[in-house]
Amino acid sequence: MLENIHRKKVLTDASLLITEACVQAGADAFIGYPITPSNRFYAYGAKRYPLFLAAPDEITVLQWMAGLSTAGKLPVTATAFPGFALMLEGFNMAYMMELPMVIILTQRLGPSTGSATTGAQGDLSLLNGCISGGYPVPVFCPSNFEDAWQLANESIKTAIDFRTPVVLLTSKEMVMTQKSFDLSLLAKISPVNRDPKNIALPYKSYKANNDLIPPFLPVGNDEHQVRINASTHDNEGLIRKGNPESLANTKRLKEKFEKRMEKITFYELDEDKGSKDLIVTYGISTEAAKDTVIKLRYEGKKVSLLVVKTLLPVSKNILEIINSYEQVTFVEENISGQYEKIIYGAASKANVKNVNKIGSLISPTEIEKVLAL
Amino acid sequence: MKSQLLTDNKMPFCPGCGHGVAVNHLSKALIELGYDPLDIIIVSDIGCSGLVDPLFTTHTVHGLHGRSPALGMGVSMGLADENKKIIVVQGDGGATIGLQHLMEAARRNVDITLLVFNNLLYGMTGGQISGLSTGKFKELKHFEEGIPPFDIIKLAHQAGAASSARVISPKNFNESIKNAIQTKGFSVLELASVCPSYGIKKLKELEDFAEEAEVFTNDRILPKIEYKETDSLFNNLKAIDQEFESNITDKMGFVLSGSAGGGVQSAAKLLAQAGMMSGLYATMKGEYPVTVGTGFSVAEVILSRKPIHYTGLEHPDIIFVVSNDGLQKVKNRISPDTKVFIDDHLSLDAHHVTRGAYVKNGGKKGAALNALASWIDQTHYLDNKALLKAVNQHKHADKLLAAMPDSAVV
Repeated sequence: MLENIHRKKVLTDASLLITEACVQAGADAFIGYPITPSNRFYAYGAKRYPLFLAAPDEITVLQWMAGLSTAGKLPVTATAFPGFALMLEGFNMAYMMELPMVIILTQRLGPSTGSATTGAQGDLSLLNGCISGGYPVPVFCPSNFEDAWQLANESIKTAIDFRTPVVLLTSKEMVMTQKSFDLSLLAKISPVNRDPKNIALPYKSYKANNDLIPPFLPVGNDEHQVRINASTHDNEGLIRKGNPESLANTKRLKEKFEKRMEKITFYELDEDKGSKDLIVTYGISTEAAKDTVIKLRYEGKKVSLLVVKTLLPVSKNILEIINSYEQVTFVEENISGQYEKIIYGAASKANVKNVNKIGSLISPTEIEKVLAL
Repeated sequence: MKSQLLTDNKMPFCPGCGHGVAVNHLSKALIELGYDPLDIIIVSDIGCSGLVDPLFTTHTVHGLHGRSPALGMGVSMGLADENKKIIVVQGDGGATIGLQHLMEAARRNVDITLLVFNNLLYGMTGGQISGLSTGKFKELKHFEEGIPPFDIIKLAHQAGAASSARVISPKNFNESIKNAIQTKGFSVLELASVCPSYGIKKLKELEDFAEEAEVFTNDRILPKIEYKETDSLFNNLKAIDQEFESNITDKMGFVLSGSAGGGVQSAAKLLAQAGMMSGLYATMKGEYPVTVGTGFSVAEVILSRKPIHYTGLEHPDIIFVVSNDGLQKVKNRISPDTKVFIDDHLSLDAHHVTRGAYVKNGGKKGAALNALASWIDQTHYLDNKALLKAVNQHKHADKLLAAMPDSAVV
């Protein structure tokens, strides 16, 4: 195991690191349906998870995951947009049922089937609105190998802690590129604790605690009746239309994230004191932005860099940082500046620039050109 | 009839609805078989049949339209406990939209019992006809004559269900439900039901409208669902330590290009490993058509003294080309500064071109490695021994060694 490895340099990829981290954090099963560029998750998953199941389609993937999750297991899958499109029905179901699970979404060039082996950052807008009613989904996005490891761990922990499906948003370039990497840089991961705390009796499957989370008990347990429900439900888990308790339960799906947002807010701010310019980026565009910053600072120019790792829900902390700069440049590999639009909406702002591109990684030169410092 | 399996909640069904009859028989059968409520998980679907949850004191899971057999399979494989009984309830509409899940449950023989309450229509949306509605049922005939209903019982049987049956008369419900529940593996039971609001109104008319009663079995083994201990993926990662020196002073970007099956990706990986053995940071990525067995195969490698952030290659320093597929893919990336090492059967007009008999000497599958090894041997940016060591660690070392120029294999 890790603690025995002393500076073990290897050639590896983030698919392997994410798989290993998920299992070490306590994931029980991988439910797979093959799709490029998530194929390595499938291959590693078959070797590493305690249970591996090959589903006949992505609709089934989410149903099996939900079933496993109601039984107290923690399932993971990996897909790309065409598969995620089929999963959306079950994803909404699992979200409403408040079932812990992790979906690794590896972005590739769209629309539709697009180019399966070309990377992209094109699915964030979809995730921002993928729950009917506009409820938030936690979306973590790794920008390097250490993040891949740590955010996979955080995905599992958040799924359990907030009783929710979590999306780990990656891209082809992140999970298929091999890099020399020192395994000793990885922090130790402990399995997530699933023992429910403070269960009020009689047990009700959707009676929330002070953190607005209903303590989870699996179906099939011998002491308490468990009722899981995808329709609007009361605290007991029974369908109730238009009743204040069930509507409060629905609103809670948003409030539970707002209440403890700081627990799941991850970012990296490389602040250059006195700089007026901020580059905001995430995921696969981060490394080019880092190279740009190194070059500009070497030339004596001032610029700060914000790497966002919790893309959704948008945290107040991140907004405060962005708003504290005079000039902000968003770097993301999509056509419209999806994260920038989430922050500002459709209205253009004079102090905001975008570096956007499709078809290949944004290069440091391209960022530098738009930044024009 | 009330029992400890049923709550005090009132039946949510219209007066005279056949679903209430089925629910009472289900409860009675479970009690007679001696089940404790908490040993049962009822998974329900959307539609009138999906209203059963509040009636039962068991565990309940209320899912989506047509998906409940898949959801129930997930519960079964999650619990992996033969002492817990998973009963999925859906209607004929659910069975129509989710037919694939029924087939999958049968094929895998997952340990669940699926009860399909077939009232021949969609009761919640106005009585529309489903895929299980029979031609004899003509209350709302908006489909053409002569289109038969799905016989889900025969389909499930052919897909491998341990037991599949259709029961028409409520007097046979008790025994049929018990048989289904006692089946080890996947059992499906279609129960004829009446819809007093949109369909036939009387139980006694059922036999005139429903398909014939059927019973089939398959001799199946119950699949074993096991959660196993596994080894860390790190155990299979080879540690690569510095053993050699390199003459790469800053950073070099390489493109290897050839055809599928030409060893391009493995040569690139060997270059990355050799670089790491020489104390350099390395990245490697491949590009190829989705059909991996044909067309071009291109790989990019960066070797650097300093940590590598951006892994794109705007201006490759070295490009190896060993096939025409590869040449067509990379020719636009050749700049005046790029050094191109190309097989001598290909023609290219560029500033820095070195030709070699890579295909002739390395073979089709070894040409990329031959070009790489020749370049190292001629330029000494890396030590020959570094590549040799990487090759020797490969599972097909013998074949790879044969593809390398003799001068590089010392």
